[in-house]
Amino acid sequence: MFPWQKQKTAAVQKRKERKISRNLKSNVAYIEEQFSYGINFDFVSQEIVSPASRYHLFFYSTTIDTQQLSDHIISPLLEAKKDIPISRILTVPSLASIESMNGAEKGLTAGSVIIFKEGSPEAFEANIQDFKHRSIEKADNERTVKGPKDSLTESLTTNISMIRKKMPSKDLIAESIEVGVRPADPVTLVYVRDLVNNDVLENIKKRIQSITVDNIRNVEVLEQFLEERPRSLFPTMLYTERPDNAANYVSEGFIAIMMDNSSSCLIAPITIWGFFHSPEDIYLRWAFGNFSRLIRAVAYLITLFVSATYVAITNYHVQLVPIDLLLAVASSRERVPLPITYEVLLMELAFELIREAGVRIPSPLGPTIGIVGALILGQAAVEANIVSPIVVILVALSGLSSFTAANYSINHTLRISRFIFILAASLMGALSLLGAIIIWLAYAVSLNSFGVPYFSPATPHTKSSDDTYFRKLLKNIKWRPVFLKPKDVDKK
Amino acid sequence: MKKIIVILFLIFLPALLGGCFDQKELEEQAFVVSIGVDKTDTRGVFRFSFQIANPEVGSSATGTSTKEPAQAVISVLGSDFLTATNAANATVAKEITLNQARVVIISEKLARSKEFIHLMQSAPSTVDLKLNAQLVVSKENAETFIRNNKPRLESRPHKYYQYMLDRAKETGIIPDAPLVRFFQITEGDADLFIAPYATTIRDDETEIGEEDHYKAGEIPVKGESQTQFMGSAVFREGQMISTLTGEENRFCLMFDSTLAQKDILISFNDPLMKEYQVAGRLDINNVKVKVDYKKEKQTTINVFVDFNINIHAIPSTVDYIQSLEKQRILKNSIEKQIKNRGERFINKTQEKFKAEPFYWSLHIRHKFLDIKQYEKADWMNKIYPNAQVRLHFNLEGLEFGKMLRETDIEEVRD
Repeated sequence: MFPWQKQKTAAVQKRKERKISRNLKSNVAYIEEQFSYGINFDFVSQEIVSPASRYHLFFYSTTIDTQQLSDHIISPLLEAKKDIPISRILTVPSLASIESMNGAEKGLTAGSVIIFKEGSPEAFEANIQDFKHRSIEKADNERTVKGPKDSLTESLTTNISMIRKKMPSKDLIAESIEVGVRPADPVTLVYVRDLVNNDVLENIKKRIQSITVDNIRNVEVLEQFLEERPRSLFPTMLYTERPDNAANYVSEGFIAIMMDNSSSCLIAPITIWGFFHSPEDIYLRWAFGNFSRLIRAVAYLITLFVSATYVAITNYHVQLVPIDLLLAVASSRERVPLPITYEVLLMELAFELIREAGVRIPSPLGPTIGIVGALILGQAAVEANIVSPIVVILVALSGLSSFTAANYSINHTLRISRFIFILAASLMGALSLLGAIIIWLAYAVSLNSFGVPYFSPATPHTKSSDDTYFRKLLKNIKWRPVFLKPKDVDKK
Repeated sequence: MKKIIVILFLIFLPALLGGCFDQKELEEQAFVVSIGVDKTDTRGVFRFSFQIANPEVGSSATGTSTKEPAQAVISVLGSDFLTATNAANATVAKEITLNQARVVIISEKLARSKEFIHLMQSAPSTVDLKLNAQLVVSKENAETFIRNNKPRLESRPHKYYQYMLDRAKETGIIPDAPLVRFFQITEGDADLFIAPYATTIRDDETEIGEEDHYKAGEIPVKGESQTQFMGSAVFREGQMISTLTGEENRFCLMFDSTLAQKDILISFNDPLMKEYQVAGRLDINNVKVKVDYKKEKQTTINVFVDFNINIHAIPSTVDYIQSLEKQRILKNSIEKQIKNRGERFINKTQEKFKAEPFYWSLHIRHKFLDIKQYEKADWMNKIYPNAQVRLHFNLEGLEFGKMLRETDIEEVRD
């Protein structure tokens, strides 16, 4: 450890160990200094003098419920006629005693009211916090037609309450661990006690504890600290905003990772199939759910390979194309100046631009995107002989298909991989395209998420709910995913 | 990190540049739809005609139509397919590509010469030329055939060949003859190879006969299209020796278990009123060939053909439909008539060709332990010409289309 670090840690240690003094004045002076009283406009330091004793309250006026403060703290204190302990005066539901200054500081930052009493070496923390957050809204990013509509919101307590509502069980554990130092933020692991695999749980806990960083405010950032291969194209945690989806996973033995300030949660460990399944697959009837899976499977293949195959075939394997199509393509290409590879790349890039602009554009300007995208890049580009019509069709098809992805994280994987395949196909046609596919697949199969192989239960093959490619009738599902090694495998 | 990027870049750079050796943009290629080959006076030199499709014609439903023609035909001299394409590039700006060629047309004169097999030898090693292209023998020069062939209803030349050959194969008047089959049969050296026979020059002196007793050029068709695909050219050991009529070709397909045919419309003499004919659609259900090989004695070949007939025209108005007795007479008569025609054709192959075009050597090969013994027994020259061939036709189902009863002529005339 470097000398300046030593000094710093020593100072932090000293501050942490400071006890609450019997002298009210010294306590007040200390807290007021620590919380920059007078500069922080919302930091309130209020003295209350009752017939029996003197009290001092500290709180942030912006983080507490003022109604509760006046009704359940200030009024009872003022009315106290005898010198009895604070815990017997206050009528707030959550009251805790604190002995160190460190505890008082933590309570204050967490939005509680801290009450000091003259002559007492003990303070009380009344938890009447009222942080503002969005109300529960409809799931925007993972829409379903059939099934619950609520989505997680940026408040941990609300989120946990939604999960508890869906799984009323004493075995559902919401365990909190702290991450970061300035300040430490709580991370909550939600799991079912008698299902979860302890090794996986310990692994996740250990990784969270070993993160050394100032602060992590939400699960989106936490995800990148937790992942084994942060540079990989493949996500190893499922990011979902649907509480029903999270509850489904938790009840199978997975672990949900939640944080305050995130309107989504992470599911770990996850296999690649999880990204392709939508919660709606289960809510829909057997045939409908499987049909929509089939459509999505086709869409993934189209996204990944349609442009690359076109490049490979038209450049290197002309004999594979039916002659009618071949002549049609050749005639439409006669006036196009760019080689096919560049033509396809240009259009794919244009589509990515539309997509990126569509996400960033302020919503009042949204309609312009449609005009620019459809007219200028589609029709006008063809009429100006910059691209051939068939390329517009292919790119639109592959772009459209990429949005059928059930999960946003895998959408990026598919779209970036598509460029890899197009480049590969342009090198040596189907030969190099197949080579790229093999390498890509070999890499994906070699991945694992918190010790669980990425392609299980397909490879390595294990018992599971047989929900990998298509799902069974719900009443025929016998097993929980065995690749997780849950404590209880049998579903019935 | 920077180093890694530079190294990766250096690895990929040669790959980027080197990969393009075999790459060819679509619009830089001229697609040949059919190839015609003719004999010249010089030995080893042939006249190649390439029919090149113009992609701009008929490809877009809405685009402005060009005034360019749908096809271009150029003919050059060359010794094999590849050198000829190079020579043709002297006049065609784009690279000539053979991999979409559907038809290879050989003039009868070339097919009957000894040079033909030398020309064909270069075909498999021409990477571009697909071996499922059809071999067609034209009565006149192949170049004349290609230039004369002006389909009226198909604006793009490849469509014409595709539809024409597919449909004619279905009706059985021409055989399916991809290049690869030519090599299989010629190198097997046991059977005759048959290829479609076609012409664009009409022979005016033929008389009207039954609908399939023609060869190409003999059919009295009136209309603007001169082209006729009918019958087949017979090749023995890589050299054309004779031609078959459409009917004979149908028997070839019927007896050959490796080929399929559908939809044969065929007519027979009406057994009860001899001056009329009955016409129907013949379906073959099953063909079995049993070769009973005896080393010293005569070999017998039994051919069992099960078929259905759907009678759709009884001009004589004999009431076959309601009378089971008359149906029996019709059934026996049809079986007999087909058998007679079949036997006539078998005799012709045994006596005139001294070999069979049915690929029957497949049915005898398994009777030998090794290839040496098989070759020594000599199917083509010794066994088949002397074998006794017995045909067994079995009409399994007789149907009468949509008619429930025959028109009573007497009542109508009354």
